[in-house]
Amino acid sequence: MELQEKLKILSDSAKYDVSCSSSGGTRKNIRGGIGNSHMSGICHSWADDGRCISLLKILLTNCCIYDCVYCVNRVTNDVPRAQFTPDEIVNLTIEFYRRNYIEGLFLSSAIIKNPDYTMELMLQVVKNLREENRFNGYIHMKAIPGADSNLIAQAGLYADRMSVNIELPSEQGLKLLAPQKKKEAIIRPMNFIHNQIGQKAEEKKLFKKSPLFVPAGQSTQLIIGATPDRDLNILRLSEGLYKKFNLKRVYYSAYVPVSSHPNLPSISNPPMLREHRLYQADWLLRYYGFSASELLNEEQPDFDTGIDPKANWAIRNLQCFPIEVNKADYSMLLRVPGIGVRSAIRIVQARRMKILSYENLKKIGVVLKRARFFITCNGKYYNELGFNENIIRQALVGDAAPKLLEQRYNWEQLSMFSTGV
Amino acid sequence: MDAIQICPMSSSTNTPTSSGGGISAATTLDNGFYSLAGEKMLPKLKNPVYYVYDGSFEGLLTAVYEAYYQSMKPDLIVSQANYQEDLLVKKIVIQTDCLKADKVYDAIIKKISYEALQKVFCVFLSELPESATMIYEYLRLGWMIGEKVDFCLSEQKVLNVHTVFKKVSSEKHRMLGFIRFRKIKGNIYYAPIEPDYNIIGLLAPHFARRFNDQYFVIHDVRRNTAVVYNRSEWIISEFTANQVIAFDKDEQNVQNLWKQFFDSITIKDKINPRLQKQFMPKRYWKYLIEK
Repeated sequence: MELQEKLKILSDSAKYDVSCSSSGGTRKNIRGGIGNSHMSGICHSWADDGRCISLLKILLTNCCIYDCVYCVNRVTNDVPRAQFTPDEIVNLTIEFYRRNYIEGLFLSSAIIKNPDYTMELMLQVVKNLREENRFNGYIHMKAIPGADSNLIAQAGLYADRMSVNIELPSEQGLKLLAPQKKKEAIIRPMNFIHNQIGQKAEEKKLFKKSPLFVPAGQSTQLIIGATPDRDLNILRLSEGLYKKFNLKRVYYSAYVPVSSHPNLPSISNPPMLREHRLYQADWLLRYYGFSASELLNEEQPDFDTGIDPKANWAIRNLQCFPIEVNKADYSMLLRVPGIGVRSAIRIVQARRMKILSYENLKKIGVVLKRARFFITCNGKYYNELGFNENIIRQALVGDAAPKLLEQRYNWEQLSMFSTGV
Repeated sequence: MDAIQICPMSSSTNTPTSSGGGISAATTLDNGFYSLAGEKMLPKLKNPVYYVYDGSFEGLLTAVYEAYYQSMKPDLIVSQANYQEDLLVKKIVIQTDCLKADKVYDAIIKKISYEALQKVFCVFLSELPESATMIYEYLRLGWMIGEKVDFCLSEQKVLNVHTVFKKVSSEKHRMLGFIRFRKIKGNIYYAPIEPDYNIIGLLAPHFARRFNDQYFVIHDVRRNTAVVYNRSEWIISEFTANQVIAFDKDEQNVQNLWKQFFDSITIKDKINPRLQKQFMPKRYWKYLIEK
């Protein structure tokens, strides 16, 4: 089979993995070597769906022994199959990298023969890249659930980031859609990688030359909308993963209907807005000091698609507002809708030099469209409509981009679970 | 130390002596970017003073130096290329002097901060006609306040510099990704670009580290300059590609593979050209292989 044809098949089947980041790496180039990693990551292009391309994202093979209902590569699906040789992947990576098309390699695979065999093939690729080609660019590698921990331990010495995809956020979902996979088999390698990272970091403190283990950490992915899981469950799971396994990222992927199966919901479009809200909430967990229980609870287990999670929280907790921008803590500034990390830092810096007025805030670049409902400047409240829950809610919902709302109605999920199956 | 004298703490030397506010040269130019610190104190009937430098960074720093030592203070600092003859303007030509420039350079690092120097240099690279005056105003304030000048975010002079700095540095970061090398005969990797700002010098160190075993040329097509790297060091030189560039024999093949990848990695159910253009503005598409 032509290389071009293989690349077509194997990048096409890798595309549902949404992870794209190339950040967090600290690898430096060596004499006679090629490549290094850039701490903040570099995006090299953006595909027509608006997602960034920074790594050569491919599968080693899409020949799979499993039959996960939601997956395009399941064994019973009639799609063209292909398999790269390790050398082909190595050459592609180097040729693309030298032309500055990519930041490195994202290597995943379907399960061919068995997990160990698959993991060994992947290991060959990264070993070849690092040792024979002295490649120091970014490598993101999947840890195959069920593979021997020795293999994962070896792979971790070559990869910058590893990930194990949870995909389905609950055990019931797993039983329904991926009966051959066990929750245990997914969690075990995550735990293993987490422990190795900690252990190797300790060793590094004692011995300078001791090798790093997945220096850019691990990540995972959840599919949104293939199971009846509520946003609350998903967010709690993410929170647990960040706390317990120190994950760098949890990615959310709006489920794209790739097949029809009685166990799958029939939806006309991917629930993109729901995915967007989950990402917003995810950021609130990681950078804004929120906890899952503050954002959602049993009475409101799903996000309101019409209003973002932070504004929603603020409206439900109006007793905390309005706050005085010249006095409030950094952590409280972060909780104001419309004020992000960058604005909060700038406010804290600027108010050391001068008491800030409303005009000053504008100049600094704080977006006041939403923030003005929740702050006072020098004791003065700048929303002429008054401090009232209904007024504020109306103003904020009205602000939501009309395009998003439009999508919301077009892309309403027709979940079969709601009919009691 | 000599450099101390650049510091405007002895501010009596840098304000014009005659008093009286009213309409001055600076206020007629007052559109935010041009207003000078002491505009109200400019004498009524004085013609505006322009410092004209040669367009180099050293020239600009020399102009800043002279602004502290000459009796005629500048209302504007412009490069020779941006200067238009005007009878009403008192033109002072600045002779670039590396010793003076060095003093200013050191004074920025010592009395403000290294970050301020980086900002000033990036603003210089923006090549905006008003950049030199912006730098001068920012530095004057910087030498009065010290490194905290970057926290004075309600000060227009600081914001001007920050805004332009952000534009230049974010274009630089974008370009780290958008540059596409083509392998040409002779095992050289060649990348043409047309950035908004003059940033090839900022890009060079990154690529020299990353591809230290690779001959490469990054060619700024609009400015006719290029970074040339010979596997040990890089230089910036004048550069025009006169002949048609002959590709290496594998080049077309690799480009096709890349186009194939770019096409098949898209999720067809999630097509979103608006989002794509937001991250990757169309003006950069010209030299992207995949578009």
